[in-house]
Amino acid sequence: MYHLALKMLLGDRAKYAMLVGGLTFATMLMTQQSAVFFGLLKWTTSHLSNMRAKIWVVDRNVQQANELKALRDTDVNRVRSVTGVAWAMPIYVTIQSAKLADGNFKPIMLVGLDNTTLVGRPPIMLRGQLEDVRLPNSIILDELGIQRLSVGRAKPLGLGDTFELNDKEARIVGICRADRHFFGYPYAYSTYTQALQFAPKQRKMLSLVLAEPAPGWTAEAAAKQIQLETGMKAYTEDELFWSTIRWYFRNTGIPVAFVSIIVLGFIVGTTISGQTFYAFVHENLRHLGALKAMGASNGLLARMLLVQSFTVGFLGYGIGVLLVTLFGQVVLARGDPPFMLPWQLPAATFAIVMGICAFSALLGIVKVWKVEPAIVFRG
Amino acid sequence: MLLLRQVTFYLAIAGFIGVFLLVRQMQQKPPSPPPAVEPARSPFAASVAATGILEAARENVKIAAPKPALIQKVAVEVGSKVKVGDTIIQLDDRESRARLNTLRAQIEALRAGLKADRVMQADAADQLARAAQLAKANVISVDERKRREFATQNWDARIAKSEADIAAMDAQLQQSQTEVDVLTIRAPRDGTILQVNVRAGEFAGTTPQEPLMILGEVEKLQVRAEVDEQNAPLVEAGRPAVAYLKGDTLRKLPLRFVRIEPFVIPKRSLTGDSAERVDTRVLQIIFELDRPEVPLYVGQQVDVFIERAPTPVAANPTTSPAKQ
Repeated sequence: MYHLALKMLLGDRAKYAMLVGGLTFATMLMTQQSAVFFGLLKWTTSHLSNMRAKIWVVDRNVQQANELKALRDTDVNRVRSVTGVAWAMPIYVTIQSAKLADGNFKPIMLVGLDNTTLVGRPPIMLRGQLEDVRLPNSIILDELGIQRLSVGRAKPLGLGDTFELNDKEARIVGICRADRHFFGYPYAYSTYTQALQFAPKQRKMLSLVLAEPAPGWTAEAAAKQIQLETGMKAYTEDELFWSTIRWYFRNTGIPVAFVSIIVLGFIVGTTISGQTFYAFVHENLRHLGALKAMGASNGLLARMLLVQSFTVGFLGYGIGVLLVTLFGQVVLARGDPPFMLPWQLPAATFAIVMGICAFSALLGIVKVWKVEPAIVFRG
Repeated sequence: MLLLRQVTFYLAIAGFIGVFLLVRQMQQKPPSPPPAVEPARSPFAASVAATGILEAARENVKIAAPKPALIQKVAVEVGSKVKVGDTIIQLDDRESRARLNTLRAQIEALRAGLKADRVMQADAADQLARAAQLAKANVISVDERKRREFATQNWDARIAKSEADIAAMDAQLQQSQTEVDVLTIRAPRDGTILQVNVRAGEFAGTTPQEPLMILGEVEKLQVRAEVDEQNAPLVEAGRPAVAYLKGDTLRKLPLRFVRIEPFVIPKRSLTGDSAERVDTRVLQIIFELDRPEVPLYVGQQVDVFIERAPTPVAANPTTSPAKQ
């Protein structure tokens, strides 16, 4: 009988395409938009993925990674003095504008790494040697920076090329891969002292301190100890990640914009597939009536409808996520627009799609339940 | 199975597999890269961290000019070993020497004048002696004798004046000599010239931006460690410490406590900019160290860890640290 149900479903190609297409569209809209939304949120934490450290020590009022209040130079040593800290290194983060030979300028995110240990360094070097960053006036630029600064040049910027950074010459000694920043600024790395030379003078220039817990200490315990002994705020990597994301939820309209699109996807998906399935059931009411007349129970008919509905659901969802996967692969290769797909997202979409299918099936079942077998013989 | 003949079925399966792989791919977080060089770690259970600078065992001497003048000659080079009293810089002393010569000539002239006066005085004295005899014999008048007597006294007074003039001129000569001597800058003590910032022909002011020269002893070095004033209570006298050179965090240099500077000073900025404003004060602690095999240079920066008594650890209900 289930074979018959599938035959019934596949028999009407137009309706079948409509049903699957509707769910595909709903799946794609929900998953892809959510993925872009999560990707955008993840961009707000690009500092964390580009400067990896277990503990982040910042001013006590700092709530998120992109708004840093400068610390005093000696605060590095205060963190180092805390029991439970294996080492602590300074980082200077600043936005500077890079000027090109043709007068064009682009803002870049300049990160100053500790001269000796280069803690916070970019994880993936594409070209050049990381150690060369210690040479005078040198800088490691990320791919995005190369792309941005190369606009209008016959040949893209390469190792050894120079540009102007805050009236000082900066030489590219390496190209790295870094996660995009929320504001779209490319990352540039130099040593801490070199970054201080590039940046205009300020009273306090230390942005944050990266630390590692001592052996036998968890990051949480060490962070707590730092807060106790220094009065500065110490986040573990995860804490700062979620604190940053919460900050954007509370303080920006981005979540509202995306959630409305996702809700829209849900409504459109539900309406299209519900309506179409209902119409499909309605159209096949005669056949179902005939089955009923032949002695099929209501329960069997309901199960047949559920098989039809969930088949459509599986196919629609599968094709939907296939399109999302293709989109995701293209986007990840390009690095833009943002894209982030945690496992919860396809799982949640799957649950929602199955819910839509169940709802549509329910509409049909109600209809079939009430149908008189005699309908076959009418009109 | 009917479904197996459908293209859509395979597309959907591909979708399931695709999204599964994509999620797996996105879950992979690249491992955090290890530091390029092993960071300096404290060998003590609890320590106070500080930034230190290597200096000569006795503090470096910043050589200054006694008075603003042009530099005539720089007598030493960087690395020269000097003994106390050796000439290191000769300032322009032409003017002073010229004045010295003038004074010498003037003294000669005065001495010559004195000599002439003495002759005249002898002549007057002789005439007076003779006049006295003649006066006894009443050959010449008393008036005549008196005139001779006054002439003698006059010459005596003139000689006294000339001698006083010579003494005054001598004093002036000595002053000029001192002025000439002052223009020669001498090593205030034994040591090695660590830095030479001036060259012959340059002007040496009395308040220069940088010292003319730096003199120090490099055989024995000491570390001046600076601790943030907020950590000052943690520092105890007599505790051992270790230092790591910047850029060489594997070799640790053991330090012996010498003293705590009793005066807390504003932190000197490590960016080296003179216009920098400071809002932090630092406690300075002096440690001595033996010269290790690695080359050490005066003025190098070091990371210092000073042992301290452990502080109470924050009570953590969920995660308790294994140590302490």
